[in-house]
Amino acid sequence: MRVIGVTVLVIGFIGAVFAQNILYQQDPKWQAPPDAIAKPNPLGQKPDATAGGKKLFQRNCVECHGTTGTGLEKKHAADLQLATVQQQSDGALFWKITNGNTDRGMPSFSRLPELQRWQLVLYLRTLKPEVELPSKATAR
Amino acid sequence: MVFCVLLGASLGCRSQESPYFVTYDHHMEEPGNLEIETYTTMGIPRSGQHFYVAPYMELEYGVTGRWTSELYLEGQGTAGDSAVFTGWRLENRFRPFKREHFLNPVLYLEYERTSEATRIQKEIVGGGPDVTSPNSELQPTKNHELETKLILSGTTHDWNIAGNFIVEKNLSKSEGFEFGYAFGFARPLASLASGNECRLCQENFIAGLEFYGGLGSTEDGFSVHNTVHYVAPVVSWQVSDNGSIHFSPSIALTHEGSPVLIRFGYSYEIRGFGNKLAQFFGGKR
Repeated sequence: MRVIGVTVLVIGFIGAVFAQNILYQQDPKWQAPPDAIAKPNPLGQKPDATAGGKKLFQRNCVECHGTTGTGLEKKHAADLQLATVQQQSDGALFWKITNGNTDRGMPSFSRLPELQRWQLVLYLRTLKPEVELPSKATAR
Repeated sequence: MVFCVLLGASLGCRSQESPYFVTYDHHMEEPGNLEIETYTTMGIPRSGQHFYVAPYMELEYGVTGRWTSELYLEGQGTAGDSAVFTGWRLENRFRPFKREHFLNPVLYLEYERTSEATRIQKEIVGGGPDVTSPNSELQPTKNHELETKLILSGTTHDWNIAGNFIVEKNLSKSEGFEFGYAFGFARPLASLASGNECRLCQENFIAGLEFYGGLGSTEDGFSVHNTVHYVAPVVSWQVSDNGSIHFSPSIALTHEGSPVLIRFGYSYEIRGFGNKLAQFFGGKR
């Protein structure tokens, strides 16, 4: 039973790795300015707002980034689960959502109210690679 | 059938729609998306005028993130008169700067092939449209017109503020250059998105006010004398993931033109239309 659990875990991990758009390369020119990077998320202490962020993500982002944020549905979309994205500050992500990168297909979402863009940042922080837990795997 | 396939295959929805009918803001259509919009302008008459309905359809396509193209088809029906197809317009909007600024300029260029009977009043230039003459007099006169706009728009504290300066040249006859303006501000009724799916939530509504009118022409002098001006509350409601309803009653501030214009419409967005169309015809986009 333990061997099966480990095997499923390894397969799940490999699957999760391959499900990601690991070839995603950030556009080196698309950098938030220092003052934007330093901006804190005004909703940082309001985790309840994340649910609204999830709704906004499903409405506005899944078309290119996929439901799990891996960016597979459109080749050039960022894999939002990757460390290269998640290591960016809240302010940097907010700036990128606001301005977009139109030359690379990322539209500007400045038409969304400011707080809704911060809600999106909150939700982006919850995107994690889906690796199956051994307990779940063995229970199947 | 192609349309149905594409419509059925469309997923997701768009970020919030601009509520304006006349004023343009700096937000462009997302690349590859097609928005189908059907709007109507109803003119409430003064004495000596007739009630009219001027429906029009817009097909708005995001060519790139900074270039949006639109095709208009328009008509008009006047009570006690006739219903006519008044022509078409092709417009393009270009956003020169990549990033968001306090004020974002957008360049607008439109070619129109419309008759004198046009009454959609998507913009007002010069002294405004002729709403008193019968269609039999107006419809035979077809105009080629070139219209440009300088759009300046920005968003601060969730308020969108947008101003348009319009210059139009009739290429069919010597009318000089005609001028017009539009100005508007609007904001969503709620800043935060709720966690549940709801259609009547405040976050799905945007309300505002717009002003628009003519500024004369080079022939008549650049002035507001004998020109039409309106003030119009505007509201849009995102009724479904892809669709929104728009409504605006415009009240005339001068004694020219129709005293009241009732405008309403519905817009529906097909996301990834360009990709789906390419795939349908075997492309690899």
